[in-house]
Amino acid sequence: MSNQKKRNFQIEAFKHRVVVDPKYADKTWQILERAIHQIYNQDASGLSFEELYRNAYNMVLHKFGEKLYTGFIVTMTAHLKEKSKLIEAAQGGSFLEELNKKWNDHNKALEMIRDILMYMDRTYIESTKKTHVHPMGLSLWRDNVVHFTKIHTRLLNTLLDLVQKERTGEVIDRGLMRSVIKMFMDLGESVYQEDFEKPFLDASSEFYKVESQEFIESCDCGDYLKKAEKRLTEEIDRVAHYLDPKSEEKITSVVEKEMIANHMQRLVHMDNSGLVYMLLHDKYEDLGRMYNLFRRVTNGLLTVRDVMTSHLREMGKQLVTDPEKSKDPVEFVQRLLDERDKYDKVISTAFGNDKTFQNALNSSFEYFINLNARSPEFISLFVDDKLRKGIKGIVDVDVEVILDKVMMLFRYLQEKDVFEKYYKQHLAKRLLSGKTVSDDAERSLIVKLKTECGYQFTSKLEGMFTDMKTSEDTMRGFYGSHPELSEGPTLIVQVLTTGSWPTQPAVPCNLPAEVSVLCEKFRSYYLGTHTGRRLTWQTNMGTADIKAVFGKGQKHELNVSTFQMCVLMLFNNADRLSYKEIEQATEIPASDLKRCLQSLACVKGKNVIKKEPMSKDIGEEDSFYVNEKFTSKFYKVKIGTVVAQKETEPEKQETRQRVEEDRKPQIEAAIVRIMKSRKILDHNNIIAEVTKQLQPRFLANPTEIKKRIESLIERDFLERDSTDRKLYRYLA
Amino acid sequence: MDRIDHLFNHYANRSSSHLIDPEGIEELCSNLEVPHTDVRILMLAWKMKAEKQGYFTLEEWRRALKAMRADTISKLKKALPELEKEVRRPSNFADFYVYAFRYCLTEEKQKSIDIETICQLLDIVLGSTFRAQVDYFIDYLKIQNDYKVINMDQWLGFYRFCNEISFPDMSNYNPELAWPLILDNFFEWMREKQA
Repeated sequence: MSNQKKRNFQIEAFKHRVVVDPKYADKTWQILERAIHQIYNQDASGLSFEELYRNAYNMVLHKFGEKLYTGFIVTMTAHLKEKSKLIEAAQGGSFLEELNKKWNDHNKALEMIRDILMYMDRTYIESTKKTHVHPMGLSLWRDNVVHFTKIHTRLLNTLLDLVQKERTGEVIDRGLMRSVIKMFMDLGESVYQEDFEKPFLDASSEFYKVESQEFIESCDCGDYLKKAEKRLTEEIDRVAHYLDPKSEEKITSVVEKEMIANHMQRLVHMDNSGLVYMLLHDKYEDLGRMYNLFRRVTNGLLTVRDVMTSHLREMGKQLVTDPEKSKDPVEFVQRLLDERDKYDKVISTAFGNDKTFQNALNSSFEYFINLNARSPEFISLFVDDKLRKGIKGIVDVDVEVILDKVMMLFRYLQEKDVFEKYYKQHLAKRLLSGKTVSDDAERSLIVKLKTECGYQFTSKLEGMFTDMKTSEDTMRGFYGSHPELSEGPTLIVQVLTTGSWPTQPAVPCNLPAEVSVLCEKFRSYYLGTHTGRRLTWQTNMGTADIKAVFGKGQKHELNVSTFQMCVLMLFNNADRLSYKEIEQATEIPASDLKRCLQSLACVKGKNVIKKEPMSKDIGEEDSFYVNEKFTSKFYKVKIGTVVAQKETEPEKQETRQRVEEDRKPQIEAAIVRIMKSRKILDHNNIIAEVTKQLQPRFLANPTEIKKRIESLIERDFLERDSTDRKLYRYLA
Repeated sequence: MDRIDHLFNHYANRSSSHLIDPEGIEELCSNLEVPHTDVRILMLAWKMKAEKQGYFTLEEWRRALKAMRADTISKLKKALPELEKEVRRPSNFADFYVYAFRYCLTEEKQKSIDIETICQLLDIVLGSTFRAQVDYFIDYLKIQNDYKVINMDQWLGFYRFCNEISFPDMSNYNPELAWPLILDNFFEWMREKQA
């Protein structure tokens, strides 16, 4: 034994081919066959697992794997055929139960058999690539039971019937359903889909097709949606309880298609209950439901959005073009704000703040607000109203909220420059009449406008505030250096820098002597301290407080405009005056004078002057005298007319003209800016870029742009290209 | 050369400065048997590159007559048809067209010509080639109120219009392109008439 090569110590299987008696194989097989029978007959308790396992092992070992395998299949098949007869024989409700029971039994048996045949599973079947025991057991069940013609259709129909029953409100055995349907799933995804899911979906589709038709004929939109939602919830619940989770998406698609997609248009447009009705009546719950259901189908939300948009546009258009509604500008704007609030609430409460709906809301407002050319003016009047009235008691925060909302409307305006013009006029009036409620509120709005429109928009406005402040200082200086004037009428002057304030033509007016003396003193004082300036009295913008004593001794303090003061002071020296006399004495222009006299003589409760004849209008032949019987429960009576009002037609034309004139240099500046950087540009592109640049201020008219281009060509800022007529070139 | 100068002096006699003045031109026209307002006089001015309307300098006179090989009135008269042909050649006509406008700018820094003069000028310069366009456009100019004068850009625009736009249908005209506004307005006016 020595000197032998060292070898690895190995254990080898006994290779000696034992010739086994074929009868041995048969005997062994019989043992196993009998065991299988017993297992299926629920009589397995007496079996020895170890012994059976060894028998199977030996068969495979001695190359009888095929016999074992074939035997297993044959035996199992025979049993299953028997079982399916029993199942088929079951009546009514017990059919499903029988099936389920037999299925459970089969699974248990299969498991046991598989354990016994484990060695064959791992060796013979592996090497021959045949189907393993467990999957084979399932396939045999499928082929011999489920696909057994007498069971197949009946099984499917039974299941579908139960679903139908449940849909109509009956209670079914969900546990049994789950078990049977799980059987399909265990048999393989294709079995589940082919033998159950697909027919289930088809049947459901039919069911919902019919049901949705019934509902749509008999329900209103809100109710229908409730029902649809309920069905959807039910189906999801059904899947959770006894179907494959993968079926959820498929069945919900069916419901969505049949109940919603197929009836979308009809639902949305339903008279007296559809989308428009819901919007008008703030039906948040219904709207929310509609949103959630429609978002599940293609173009669902698009449909809702489109109907909402056209409704908004129509409503807005009517609101804005109704002459009745344009009578009161403040009401007009308030209505717009209310509508916007309303739809904002709808979108945030019911539509989950969906951005596409926000955009639709904004574009609709932008569309109709600009249908009325007076919108910019009205918005400014609204702001004026809020900033002027004595809103004592309203907290600053509330004013902020209102101003923010107004800014929203402002953003929709195409003609922002028109707004600017009116805003300046109204601001000027507010500042000069001392009627602005809160400097902070005014400043806050200017900041918002600056943020929105840029520095140029608001730079001049700041100038107005500065002038007011400077004037205060000037007045202090004036009275400081003229202490003798502290007795006698008090003069308060606001000195306005021409560029910053809206331009007004100076109106002639003869001031009463006491006043003009004072004014002259001021003029010399001011020019003494400010050389190189020129002062012009704006008599159409001033106010005066006059103390008056009437016939029976009634004392009142009248707050009037400068013009009114001039007229009233005349009556210190005359009891009765004709229109012509007044006109001559004051030199106030006719239209202003008539308006002034009207407010003094024709307004109930404020008629300190009486007129003959007592007609409504001022005629040039009328005569006037003091109303000695004038009474008012207030000591201070306000008669002034310096309040911002809706413009008359001719005033409106004039403002519009000024706006157009102002636009010309802006257009030219834009053209020059663009051409300076681009050097050469073609016609269509210039139009597009100029329009874009000016869009924050106003919508530029292509014809107007063309005019400006031609003007610039004439002045040698630009030239046309000699070969390509469409091109323009910048001339440095 | 002498004969050319001699001819010049004949017409320049009346004026104090050494120029042919409007009266001289009138005499020249009658000698040439060409009406005073005939386009050929304008063409002659172009050939001379005459700078001031109504006046010819010696240099200008020499320039034209030398090029036209004319040193007598009869030769000059015979050379006119050739001149016309030359001017009407497309390569020259555009230049002539611009020249015609500039020639009418009589004041210093003047950039536009009044409507009435423009109408006459259009007739003279384009009347023979674009009779219909000129007639309709003149009609329009007389009744419109937007423009009291016409500038070079608009003048050139009309020439392009005649050359490029089929008339009177104007089917290939697009007011959204870079045509001068006055032509857009003319186009609108024509359309209204045709409707």
